[in-house]
Amino acid sequence: MTSTAANVDRAVVRKNERNNERWERAVPVYGFPVINGFFVGLSVLVVVALALTAYRELAGLGPVSGMNDAFGWGIWKTFNVMVLTALGSGAFAVGIAAWVFRRKNLHALMRMALLTSFLAYACGLALLGIDAGRPWNFYWIVFPWRWNMHSPLAEVAICMSIYAMIPLALENIPPVLERLWYFDSRLRPGVEKIEKRLHYFYPWIIAAAYLLPGMHQSSLGALMLLAGERVHPLWQTPWLPVLYLGAATFMSFGCVAGTTMLCCLVWKRGMDMDVLDEAARITAWLIFGWLGLRLLDILFRGALATAFHFDRFAGVFWLEMLMIAVGGVLLLRSLRTHDKGSMFAGYVLSSAGGMIYRFSPTTLAFRPNPEALYFPATIEILVSLGFISLGVVGFLVAVKRLAILPAPLYEWHDMASYFRFRRPYIRWTGYFKYGYYGENEEEPASGD
Amino acid sequence: MAITRRELITGIAKAGVPAAVAVTVGSEVLKAETIPVPSAAVGLLYDATICIGCKACVAACAEANDTPPDTRGDALHQAPSDLNDLTRNVIKLYKAEDGSEFSFAKRQCMHCLDPACAAGCPFQALHKDPESGIVNWSANECIGCRYCTITCPYHIPRFQWVGFNPRVTKCELCSHRLAQGLKPGCTSVCPTGAVIFGPRPVLLLEAKRRIENSPGRYYENRVYGETDNGGTQALYLSHVPFEKLGLPELGPESVPAKTLRWQRRFYQYFALPAVLYAGLVQVIRKNLKGHEADAHEREKETGLRAQL
Repeated sequence: MTSTAANVDRAVVRKNERNNERWERAVPVYGFPVINGFFVGLSVLVVVALALTAYRELAGLGPVSGMNDAFGWGIWKTFNVMVLTALGSGAFAVGIAAWVFRRKNLHALMRMALLTSFLAYACGLALLGIDAGRPWNFYWIVFPWRWNMHSPLAEVAICMSIYAMIPLALENIPPVLERLWYFDSRLRPGVEKIEKRLHYFYPWIIAAAYLLPGMHQSSLGALMLLAGERVHPLWQTPWLPVLYLGAATFMSFGCVAGTTMLCCLVWKRGMDMDVLDEAARITAWLIFGWLGLRLLDILFRGALATAFHFDRFAGVFWLEMLMIAVGGVLLLRSLRTHDKGSMFAGYVLSSAGGMIYRFSPTTLAFRPNPEALYFPATIEILVSLGFISLGVVGFLVAVKRLAILPAPLYEWHDMASYFRFRRPYIRWTGYFKYGYYGENEEEPASGD
Repeated sequence: MAITRRELITGIAKAGVPAAVAVTVGSEVLKAETIPVPSAAVGLLYDATICIGCKACVAACAEANDTPPDTRGDALHQAPSDLNDLTRNVIKLYKAEDGSEFSFAKRQCMHCLDPACAAGCPFQALHKDPESGIVNWSANECIGCRYCTITCPYHIPRFQWVGFNPRVTKCELCSHRLAQGLKPGCTSVCPTGAVIFGPRPVLLLEAKRRIENSPGRYYENRVYGETDNGGTQALYLSHVPFEKLGLPELGPESVPAKTLRWQRRFYQYFALPAVLYAGLVQVIRKNLKGHEADAHEREKETGLRAQL
């Protein structure tokens, strides 16, 4: 039993904590079943995609996709990898803000950022392997002397795989270890030993988790440099790597903060407006910095006139610029009015605009010679959707089984009492009924 | 007087930053940017003014490379509309809209001195032979990413869209025939000598001689490929603008040298990323300590295990 003095302190804390909406710790989403209609629908999409993938491996790319000699890359690469990994750069952008620039508030969003990043990268990489025509030759990745060090694509392929498999995966381990720690007191010494070792290597892991995405998110832009004039002058610029990286930063902020807001709405969580305001402020600055850089670049290259031609390129250009700018304005306005609606709309608009920007150079603004068109085939779209669904399925399972989503302190105690009194028969969540540190020692663990 | 570990690390870092910057930004010419002309560069000279468009070279190319004839057009004739997974070499027709001029155009790999396809190829499946300068494709390294179809400014490499074991098809200047002492398939059958094979310097001299002998006959009195795109080993003479033959005006600097300059400098010897990494580790070490201290303090206040 802990001392009386500690109990008194704890009582004071618990009395005040109902009024405190500060995101204190990550709490699993409890009281909502994992399997529901939405989840089953997504799972069906995943199964369909996997079956179609098997067909693709046998039949080749032509029968399943709209790709052709002029558009060698389809949405599997240009959307699922180029666009969605930009949305999944949260571990990079939010992480740098929190760990390097010491925005302490943002630590509350870190687990969300790490999880969304891992899922986006894992699903993107899986589809990259399916998109490759001769994937069995990927084994060269372990022979560095075979790498073409000056190829942007080698940089992307190698760096992305290493990043997702090592630093990003390791950064996602703490919530899993935490669950094991609460699960059974017999596991604790082992878990604590692993945690200690992990913490020892943390600076190196985290630094790699910032350097590698910085490199490959910019190299994704450098990919299209070699395409030269075939990319419309509004997009083709030596600054493409910087602009791609910049778009990834504000898009991933939007993805992390927007997803967190959406989750809070769906699962009825309190929102910590200090954290969200700080994220919105940073995102707005990133957006206006990025817009300024892009406009200056277009101005100095003398490509501005093409933005006023009446063609699809100018249309796409203004669409993405307006969406990003309006998103930024909405975010700034939400800082003044404390309106959650406009903040969420700002995140959605700016991220969607960024998605179009990342998609354009490879597809919408790509002008092959001779002229040709590309539109994804049905199977291609289904597979793409299936791999997005796989990420969402992973997300739904993770937030309901692991402590990912940030919440006010009282949520943790509510969760503990929920499992203790209303669901005592669920053995696998037994570990969450022990709210307090050290409480587990009082009674036999794992409910036997 | 022993130095501490911290002093050692910061000392190395202080020396490393200027060194890395000097290596990456300061170095004037990067190894990857100098284009050595292969010692025994061979190539093709195609003279569009002599070509009669008989397509004998198309059939000979398929025969020499042991590819089945591409009869997908009308299920009868070998009539590919463009280069494709069965066609390494094709004759196309350019006709001006008002009918004032026309020209045939032979399209095959240009064998650039600084090929963009090889610059982008992740595991060097496309590589330039250091002696003959022929850009070859090897099935054992190709992952089928199709980046070469995006990067090639002449739109030459083609991907096989059907089948579980797709290949990249491009002219490899009949390397297997050269090894037997034979000429490439297309040059061995050309009835008018519109396309000839030989060492690149000899072909260049021949092209210049033709221009000198008939001034005004050739477009701009120049050889396409002498300097274009950093120089190519397939050379072109034409009486219509080269762009009409599908040869874009790319300037004397090669596409990779022009576009990947900063990319290459940044990753030169991996110096800048390494310095950046060392700096990040230092900053994060410091911030991690502060964060852990805060977390353990909250742990005592709330009685809940810290989430790090």
